[in-house]
Amino acid sequence: MTGVRGTAHDLAEFRAEVRGWCREHIPADWRRAQTGVPEEEFVAFQKEWFQELRRAGFAVPHWPREWGGGMPVAEQIILYQELAAHDAPRLVLAFVAIHHAAATLLAAGTDEQRRRHLPAILDGEIWAQGFSEPGAGSDLAALSTTARRQDDGYVVNGQKVWASGAAHADWCLLLARTDPGAPKRRGISYFLLDMSTPGIDVRPIRQATGESHFCEIFLDDVVIPRTCLVGRENDGWRVAQETLGAERGMTMLELAERLGNAGFRWLLETCARPGPGGARPVDDALVADRLAGFETELTALRALCRDLVERHDAGTPGPADASVVKLFYSELLQRMTGFGAEIAGPAAHAELRKPLSSGWESGAWALDFIGSWEWTIPGGTSEIQRTIIGERGLGLPREPRGGR
Amino acid sequence: MSPDLSDLHGEFRAVARDLLGGAGPDRAPGWKAITGSGWPGLEVPEALGGSGATFAEVAVVLEEMGRAAASTPYVGAAVLGVGALNLLEPGPDRDGLLRAIASGAARPAVALAGDTGDPGTAVAAEPPFRLERSPRGLVLRGDAAFVPDAAGADRLLLPALAPGGEPVMVDAGPDLAGIRVTAQPLLDDTRAFGRVTAEGAVVAEGSLRRFTGDPAAAFRHLGDRAAMAVACDGLGLSEAMLDATVAYAGVREQFGRPIGSFQAVKHACADMLVRVTVARRLVEAAVRALAAGDPDCWVAVSMAKSYACEAAVDVAGKAMQLHGGMGYTWESGVHVHLKRAMLDRSLFGSPADHRRRVAHRYR
Repeated sequence: MTGVRGTAHDLAEFRAEVRGWCREHIPADWRRAQTGVPEEEFVAFQKEWFQELRRAGFAVPHWPREWGGGMPVAEQIILYQELAAHDAPRLVLAFVAIHHAAATLLAAGTDEQRRRHLPAILDGEIWAQGFSEPGAGSDLAALSTTARRQDDGYVVNGQKVWASGAAHADWCLLLARTDPGAPKRRGISYFLLDMSTPGIDVRPIRQATGESHFCEIFLDDVVIPRTCLVGRENDGWRVAQETLGAERGMTMLELAERLGNAGFRWLLETCARPGPGGARPVDDALVADRLAGFETELTALRALCRDLVERHDAGTPGPADASVVKLFYSELLQRMTGFGAEIAGPAAHAELRKPLSSGWESGAWALDFIGSWEWTIPGGTSEIQRTIIGERGLGLPREPRGGR
Repeated sequence: MSPDLSDLHGEFRAVARDLLGGAGPDRAPGWKAITGSGWPGLEVPEALGGSGATFAEVAVVLEEMGRAAASTPYVGAAVLGVGALNLLEPGPDRDGLLRAIASGAARPAVALAGDTGDPGTAVAAEPPFRLERSPRGLVLRGDAAFVPDAAGADRLLLPALAPGGEPVMVDAGPDLAGIRVTAQPLLDDTRAFGRVTAEGAVVAEGSLRRFTGDPAAAFRHLGDRAAMAVACDGLGLSEAMLDATVAYAGVREQFGRPIGSFQAVKHACADMLVRVTVARRLVEAAVRALAAGDPDCWVAVSMAKSYACEAAVDVAGKAMQLHGGMGYTWESGVHVHLKRAMLDRSLFGSPADHRRRVAHRYR
């Protein structure tokens, strides 16, 4: 892929290229094949799919060119649109590695840290995020896992929770308190934790859907070398703030495209399926009205995500743009999957498993609806997003807070 | 939209806000000031004294008029008047009227019914008037209610079904015998609507104007323009209500702190912003499609009209709620925007009507 791209003609050509690739490389029937498979098969499938994308140059298009990315934003948008339109499997396992870990290393890591991990991520290194704790969810800065200086490194003790994919992770992004005496946001450091270090115990948590992607991580005198500190000691909160939202634009665009493409298509199919008496839900005026409302909101969501990506690329994002999109997506997903479950009726409850590697709109509507709380709760709950929108987006006065 | 165009629109918007802004519903700029600003002639071709601009620029004016809850006959004269004339075959009469609108010499209205009739009708498929042959010549009959700016118009354009079955436009003065215009006082007194009734008016052949291209499509396009004008109005007034509410919540104190610092208030404002942001995105897309002459623009128009006008009522209603007791007073003026938003929601197709049009594609 050389030369200057960006004209409408070039982009149309690129779209055709991606479409051709999708038709050739997306495994036929992967949804059925990935439903109810054991965990190892899911992991193997994820790793294979990642390498397939990598060979095409589609695995980390958002990375800088020197590390294997460098795709112009206009093309990335097309890539995610087409992957969604062709219902490609989602990169579940590599998600934290290619987005959060890479963003952190690129923004705040040392050259050595980048050289060590960015190529390894391309080769399949899996990452998890060890931020939340039982006592530090929305109030993340209240975290109490400690990292005590010792010799040429740190000794870590504490408990992390909601670490997605940690059972398969090779490395973990870790926030731990290095100065218990400092104000809570100023005593936190950011570490890269090798998950094979002695003293780490990972226990999967069974979620509301019955799956176990999230894990608890128990840390008992775990030693982290000083070379695995990211940024300066006690500056971890700032590093986390800067890198957390860094990739939100493109990941939100991918999710919005999925919801707008396959998601809405399945909702239409569900509504077009005749009931036992032959009547189709879509012929009911109330159902049609709800569908048109969803399509309208999806149309806006997809456009807002494109705006977010383009503004981010131009360096002109609004202070609450990402929160508006996250809040709107999460609640739209919840309403849409809830409606799907309502229309599909009792049959939706007989689908006990949804295909692994699918998005949050798999068409198993009852499970999808339950799974939608994975969006309204993590990554800043809807309530936290509203506070951010009110304070940063609209400039409303802050709530008086205790214990900073 | 290219960055250049959006910069240009930014300046244009600032000028429009300045002219309309401080005015308020009671002190809207007169038609003279509006015509002096060149807004009625925006879509009039340059050769006829206009600016040769597009609906995209008209939309900016409409949004700002909604924001100010301005009382002007802009929709009747410019959005529908110029819009209709541009859809007609050129000729000395048509061109002359376009020129007169641009210069401010004429202020027509188009007898398009804001009440689209039966439930489920987003955009009327047929004109509200009919032309019949009679021994006296061509006779016009029909009735259109909630016609924007009909009462004060100096010239009426009446969409009618010709004896051959195709839509045409009848160009008539307001004093043509057999045509009656009755003002319709409404709760929203920032705008003027009227009922236009034709009871056997005799129409000269020379006052028939034909649409270029497919007349039925042209007539429906007029309905889309009307719906879009209302959607722009609703978006503008939602933005005004959000701004006013945020400003008020930042200064009004209860329990010793600004009410905007309470989560219940702050989160309600955040929801208003999300709705306005979504509405703006849908309106922008529809305006662009309509301005570009996209034949499928009706989908985007119906999405924008249904969402923006529904959101406007919610946002204005929430504004009244968050302004508390003050918001319920006549003096606060919140009711002006709420009534206007409610009327916008009902004009030129309800949200349900427009969603039904979108949903026809699912069958």
